[in-house]
Amino acid sequence: MTVTATRPPKAAHARSRPRSRQGRETLVLMLPALVPVLLFSVGPLVYGMALAFTDARAGRKVTYSFVGLENFANLFQDPDFWSSIVVGLIWAVSVTVLTFLLGLGLALLLNEKLRLRGLARVLAVVPWAMPPVVIGLMWRLVYHADAGILNGILGTDIDWLADFTFVLPAIIVMGVWAGMPQTTVVLLAGLQNIPAELYEAGKIDGAATWQRFRNITLPQLKPVIVAITSLDFVWNFNQFSLVYVLTNGGPGGRTRLPMLFAYEQAFRYGFFGYAASLGVAIMIVVLGLLGVYLWRQMREASS
Amino acid sequence: MRMTSALAAAAIIALTAACGGGGSGGDAQGSATSGGEPVKLNFLSLAWQKESVAANKQIVEEWNKANPGIQVTYVQGSWDNVNDQLVTQFEGGDPPDVIHNDSPALAGFASRGYLLDLKDKLPAELKSDIPQTAWDTVTFGQEGGVYGVPFLQESQVIIANKKLLDAAKVRIPTPDNPWTWDEFAEIARKLTKDGTYGVAWPMKSPVNKTLNLALNFGGTFFQTGPDGKTTVKVGPEEREVLQRIHDQIHKDKSADPKALGMGTADPLPGFYKGEYAMLPVGVYLRQQVAEQAPEDFEWVALPPLKGTSSNQGAVSQTLSIAQDSKHPDEAMKFISFFLNPANQAKLAKGDWLLPTSTKAASDPSLTTEDNGWDVATASAKNLVVAPFLKVNGYDEWKSKVATPALQEYFAGKISLDEVAKRLVEEGNKVLERY
Repeated sequence: MTVTATRPPKAAHARSRPRSRQGRETLVLMLPALVPVLLFSVGPLVYGMALAFTDARAGRKVTYSFVGLENFANLFQDPDFWSSIVVGLIWAVSVTVLTFLLGLGLALLLNEKLRLRGLARVLAVVPWAMPPVVIGLMWRLVYHADAGILNGILGTDIDWLADFTFVLPAIIVMGVWAGMPQTTVVLLAGLQNIPAELYEAGKIDGAATWQRFRNITLPQLKPVIVAITSLDFVWNFNQFSLVYVLTNGGPGGRTRLPMLFAYEQAFRYGFFGYAASLGVAIMIVVLGLLGVYLWRQMREASS
Repeated sequence: MRMTSALAAAAIIALTAACGGGGSGGDAQGSATSGGEPVKLNFLSLAWQKESVAANKQIVEEWNKANPGIQVTYVQGSWDNVNDQLVTQFEGGDPPDVIHNDSPALAGFASRGYLLDLKDKLPAELKSDIPQTAWDTVTFGQEGGVYGVPFLQESQVIIANKKLLDAAKVRIPTPDNPWTWDEFAEIARKLTKDGTYGVAWPMKSPVNKTLNLALNFGGTFFQTGPDGKTTVKVGPEEREVLQRIHDQIHKDKSADPKALGMGTADPLPGFYKGEYAMLPVGVYLRQQVAEQAPEDFEWVALPPLKGTSSNQGAVSQTLSIAQDSKHPDEAMKFISFFLNPANQAKLAKGDWLLPTSTKAASDPSLTTEDNGWDVATASAKNLVVAPFLKVNGYDEWKSKVATPALQEYFAGKISLDEVAKRLVEEGNKVLERY
């Protein structure tokens, strides 16, 4: 694609030779960037997808063979797979929606001329600087049944991370907390790009605050919103480390996100082929959902 | 299509995106040549209690000083994620040479060919010092390969509040004359009054505990057919212990239902306050009781209960050698030193567990009445091989089927017939894959 883009228009006449030479030059220039991408990203990805069609399993010097769609057939009959997809969807949708709503609120607030705004903006970004493992450990202390802050504040005696009812909401709260900073920052950047004149015009026309928000802020912010929510969704659906540290998928699989399920299959039980087919299936789910969402947004935008 | 599984592992890591966990990566092993350079060995240790880490490090240091030709590096691991870490290292072809683990994990690793068969490498002295029942916990496969050296064993005892027992005037059992399960149930009922429960069953991880105790009545939970296929079985023998624990919680109400969600050490604060009179727990918990209990708290360790026998499933901690180790003979030498009777006694004291070494077990400090060592050490004679150790796929059965099913059963959500049905039907489906 880059090749066509960089080709000057006049090259269309003198076709073969200059184009191929230029193509070669472009290729040479791109090579240093391309090699790592092919080697470390595309290669393993393709290899992983190929694995999905084999009966690969852990073992020393194991050989394995092509099994076609058997892994996928097993996958679709595996109730654990479906429950992990359900858990993953509940988790990804709630975290994305809540993060977006709270992030938008915070961004609007930080966009106002407040005292200590600079400090507040910095503080809002702090969770971003924390590695997921640290976040997980920190929230484990918050939710700890005996020594936890949460039980201390509420005066309750609930083992949040072992309770079948509370565990999913509990990790969703953590997910929102961890996801807020990037969403807020992106939305804040979007807000600052909205021309002030629009608001002035709105004010002159007598639009109330809510009307200004609905008719100016939201439409202007829409591309940013679409981008950040879709990114957040993919990110959350593929979340691993946060939940791995906090609950390890328990209790009884109530927080077993799809990635944790794949990890378990591969590294605990040693079914590499099966885990790879899971990866492919998850990719299809994410691409499918995202495709529908983006397609609808585009259609709305163009109509 | 032939591929090496090392590549496969790398691909999975890429495909499943972020792969967390604490793969220490392992130090790149120096390729020790036959020349003057010393052989380097990595020793992955899972010791975590302070005394035990100190004992481990001290033994390694002694070895390094005495053997300049074979230098051992102590690598700290953690029980939480050791098996995930090892799979990655095995697949990457760079495992630690000497691996500390426990016997339930060995069957799977051995069948995948990751571990070296030590059968012909064991020095006679080490082999004779450890009884055959312990060797059975690490012997797998048709050829009877030995895939580790068992060195610390855990048995289940009962830790009890002495004042409450004395007040209720119950018979204090001895290793030769232990309580039967019936007696235990009756005493638990007797002790249940004034806000005290007779017993607390911490059942956050119920499976190993239940299966080990089930042997009291000969319950094995697994059977191997003539075709070599293993299936799950929950018959009358298996149901005994399940039913008895369930009765204490729901019928006698002599066991606190709140304790069910607790890990082994979690009921301790309530135990010190007298909320529970007895805790059926592993021997190692004595350490925490001895060190944390309030000054005036009196406790006693009671021998294991008796059903048709006092047999319990033995799980041992082990040292194994990786198949990919470049210096298996040197590693074996290190293991024989590390597990000699004197060192085993040291390690057992550090972890408050039972040594497999018969010489170490007769060490006076392991037979004293202090802190229940006499009872703990005596309980070692009841240890037999837990049948589940030999079951390939046990780990998946345990985490996917048995843990949730037993948790729901003990919580009173499903009946004994339902739990039996789930353990068998869902369980057999899991085992089919192996």
